Amino acid sequence: MAQPLVKKDDDQDDEVEYSPFYGIEKGVVLQEARVFNDPQLDPRRCSQVITKLLYLLNQGDTFTQREATEVFFAVTKLFQSRDIGLRRMVYLIIKELSPSSDEVIIVTSSLMKDMNSKTDMYRANAIRVLCRITDGTLLTQIERYLKQAIVDKNPVVASAALISGIHLLQTNPEIVKRWSNEVQEAVQSRAALVQFHALALLHQIRQNDRLAVSKLVTSLTRGTVRSPLAQCLLIRYTSQVIRESVGNTQPGERPFFDYLESCLRHKAEMVILEAARAITELNGVTNRELTPAITVLQLFLSSSKPVLRFAAVRTLNKVAMTHPLAVTNCNIDMESLISDQNRSIATLAITTLLKTGNESSVDRLMKQITNFMSDIADEFKIVVVEAIRSLCLKFPLKYRSLMNFLSNILREEGGFEYKKAIVDSIVILIQDIPEAKESGLLHLCEFIEDCEFTYLSTQILHFLGIEGPKTSDPSKYIRYIYNRVHLENATVRASAVTTLAKFGAMVESLKPRIFVLLRRCLFDNDDEVRDRATLYLKTLGANDTAAVTDAKEFLFGSLDVPLTNLEASLKNYEPSDEPFDITSVPREVKSQPLAEKRAPGRTPASLAAPATTTSTIDTYERLLSSIPEFSNFGKLFKSSAPVELTEAETEYAVNVVKHIFDGHIVFQYNCTNTIPEQLLENVTVVVDTSDAEEFSEIASKPLQSLPYDSPGQTFVVFEKTGGPTVGKFSNILKFTVKEVDPSTGQAEDDGVDDEYQLEDLEVVAADYMQKVGVSNFRNAWESMGPDCERVDEYGLGPRESLAEAVAAVIDLLGMQPCEGTEVVPSNSRSHSCLLSGVFIGGMKVLVRLSFGIDGQKDVAMKLAVRSEDASISDAVHEIVASG
Amino acid sequence: MILAVLFANSEGNILIERFNGVPAEERLHWRSFLVKLGADNLRGTKNEELLVACHKSVYIVYTVLGDVSIFAVGKDEYDELALAEVIFVITSAVKDICGKSPTERLFLDKYGRICLCLDEIVWKGYLENTDKDRIKRLVRLKPPTEF
Repeated sequence: MAQPLVKKDDDQDDEVEYSPFYGIEKGVVLQEARVFNDPQLDPRRCSQVITKLLYLLNQGDTFTQREATEVFFAVTKLFQSRDIGLRRMVYLIIKELSPSSDEVIIVTSSLMKDMNSKTDMYRANAIRVLCRITDGTLLTQIERYLKQAIVDKNPVVASAALISGIHLLQTNPEIVKRWSNEVQEAVQSRAALVQFHALALLHQIRQNDRLAVSKLVTSLTRGTVRSPLAQCLLIRYTSQVIRESVGNTQPGERPFFDYLESCLRHKAEMVILEAARAITELNGVTNRELTPAITVLQLFLSSSKPVLRFAAVRTLNKVAMTHPLAVTNCNIDMESLISDQNRSIATLAITTLLKTGNESSVDRLMKQITNFMSDIADEFKIVVVEAIRSLCLKFPLKYRSLMNFLSNILREEGGFEYKKAIVDSIVILIQDIPEAKESGLLHLCEFIEDCEFTYLSTQILHFLGIEGPKTSDPSKYIRYIYNRVHLENATVRASAVTTLAKFGAMVESLKPRIFVLLRRCLFDNDDEVRDRATLYLKTLGANDTAAVTDAKEFLFGSLDVPLTNLEASLKNYEPSDEPFDITSVPREVKSQPLAEKRAPGRTPASLAAPATTTSTIDTYERLLSSIPEFSNFGKLFKSSAPVELTEAETEYAVNVVKHIFDGHIVFQYNCTNTIPEQLLENVTVVVDTSDAEEFSEIASKPLQSLPYDSPGQTFVVFEKTGGPTVGKFSNILKFTVKEVDPSTGQAEDDGVDDEYQLEDLEVVAADYMQKVGVSNFRNAWESMGPDCERVDEYGLGPRESLAEAVAAVIDLLGMQPCEGTEVVPSNSRSHSCLLSGVFIGGMKVLVRLSFGIDGQKDVAMKLAVRSEDASISDAVHEIVASG
Repeated sequence: MILAVLFANSEGNILIERFNGVPAEERLHWRSFLVKLGADNLRGTKNEELLVACHKSVYIVYTVLGDVSIFAVGKDEYDELALAEVIFVITSAVKDICGKSPTERLFLDKYGRICLCLDEIVWKGYLENTDKDRIKRLVRLKPPTEF
């Protein structure tokens, strides 16, 4: 917050002494405000006091309720003065003081009088003040005047009423919606700003009425729009209409495109950019449509105005994600922006170049970026690091220069988030590019030699323990790891001990030397470090192989209890003679907590990311195997993603995961109780299988208790006949509900039985298919041979687009698209798509799909399936035929 | 919505701040973020040269005028282009009132008038008036000339 000017340096006192606000204090100003009560008002003096009050408020000072009330009441007296300058100040200060609803009544009559004044400017200001402080009841009284004001001849009055309408629409929509005739009239106003404000309000009033918005756009794109600001709004509304009209138009013809294109030749730069942006964001935009937009954006890249350069490069950055080739023409202009004074522009230019660059330009680009990195802030650097990571995954052959770049910036100064982004990137590159492993690990080793962040050091040590022993010469990492035992804090030392033990467990030849090092750690001054060293020496030093296997399992296996459950159990454990028993920790996995559920799309931390998918399956497998009823079902074939069975934000949130076994299927219902005043007990789901006759329910495992915001699971198990059996299940959640006293958190003893209807659930053929990709489809296809190949053709009928048809078939089969063939270039008339998967029973399946679309949007498809068993190929055809 | 208009002196002290639709607890964050942004980038910038940044889905356009730095923050329809227009109107109005690029002293001398102008330019997060001559008349409660 601002410091009052008194606190400035003495050297600058010359100016300070004369500052109008020198030594200003709230208490004194409030005293001075008493002049508002003088019988003979001095307008000049009053204006000065109001200015001081404004200064205090604008600096973030606050008035107590009582102070605000006193000042407000005093200010209302100033309506008696006829001085125009003072009146204008009064309007402003009333808005700033925002009086409470019971005080407003004091000024209402004065403002109503001004609102009907012959002086236009009194009317405009009174409208603005009234709308700022009014509530619904007063609004109905003044509505008539506001409607008149909207069509007032004076543009200032009309604008004041229109903007008031925009604000009031949030609080009193039903009243403002009644003004649409007047607003419609104002849209035709000759005053540019009135038209702008009227257009904004009219669109907000009608935004849920597609037809009305479409009519509005149609009439205005043919008529006259007087200000660039209004033109920009119209372009946005036009894009909205285009988006919503997709599918209703003939191919090759896009409504309003001519209008957007004509805006590219508008005289206002703002309008040109808005139109270019709208064109680039069109669904399925073609190259022909893109070209003129990209051309104007390219021109703006070399504009002298930073805002235009920023707007252009920001738009091109977005285009580069979907149409990188269309942007390559701008690369030269973009490269000159790397040295732009404005760092936001430079960062956008670099990340765009990284997206559009080809393999041959990588080295040159990296050279330019190196100079740039030293003088930008961490948040920009993180964006660049992430772009480089994607570039490296795109061009794996370039890993050497990109990895070098990452290791160089790792050595430079930077905050935690930045360093973490670099380390995460190196870890991902090591995991995805085998050739990069050894150099990447050495870079990480060098980094922990001088790393100030304990978290990063321990994460890297953990990663080294897993990857290091698998390298050609594991011994070279030992020095780096052992150095940590000497030089670091206890947390890092303990991690280093574990990493050493991992090397000892995996690399027999290193074991004796590792033991020497571990023995030295027995003298560490930290308990944890000593305990770990003792434990590993004991377990790894055992003579029987079973013990060593146990030790490896302990070092490398994941903990088979959920960490959160373990943490909760440890917190509840009271130190006593009885040791903590890890088997007492509940193994039921809590499903996502509420907060995460409402924020989908969160990216997981990348150090843990590659393990996430497997760990989900592992977790499910462990969870299911810990339940005795399910232990004899054999190996889990597939678990589906959770399917929501309730709408968002209902009393009870339920989703279901389908676990597929050879002869069984288990529905895992993850339930969350979102009502703090309720405790649910004996929660079950009653499943009706009348539309799934080939399934028979054999068991149900109820959830004993479901407190507020603490998710739990209930299971229902079915036996099924062999093969990909499908069906539809309707579900009802049944439970006993008990009231909870919010103050004590205690539930009442008696509960009431209740039930809650859930959405239906389907088991589809795709549930029996695992998405398993192949690295080289052609080789895999050839080696599978044509013996069990089945080919047939299908008519898919009229579809929205080819891309939509391809996506629907991929979804139906539940297979993994290979070699990026799931992406359909826009406007193409035919497409081939390659899929691979493993069908239940462990059979590999490969699919070749050829699609064609005609002028009537009828899609035809040829499906060729190869698998290890002809019956599986037939089954895949059956899925498509019945889907 | 124009989320904030902020004036600061060359030392980063706030002279005027106006927030619209920004919760009170987030204002401190914005205030310090903007002041830091200015301190990092505005040194050596020419008068009225616009700088631009974005932070998540929010845009920031800022500039320096004499001793005063001016920041405008917006989202949705108030992107960098619309904000540039807002800043342009603000700087021309301030120059008009002060007669030149203001020193801090001059700015404070004309403080009341500048507040009135700002009230005419941005009203609760929307751009209301864009012409400096009209604004000049409006703060004196005179109707616009074209009327």
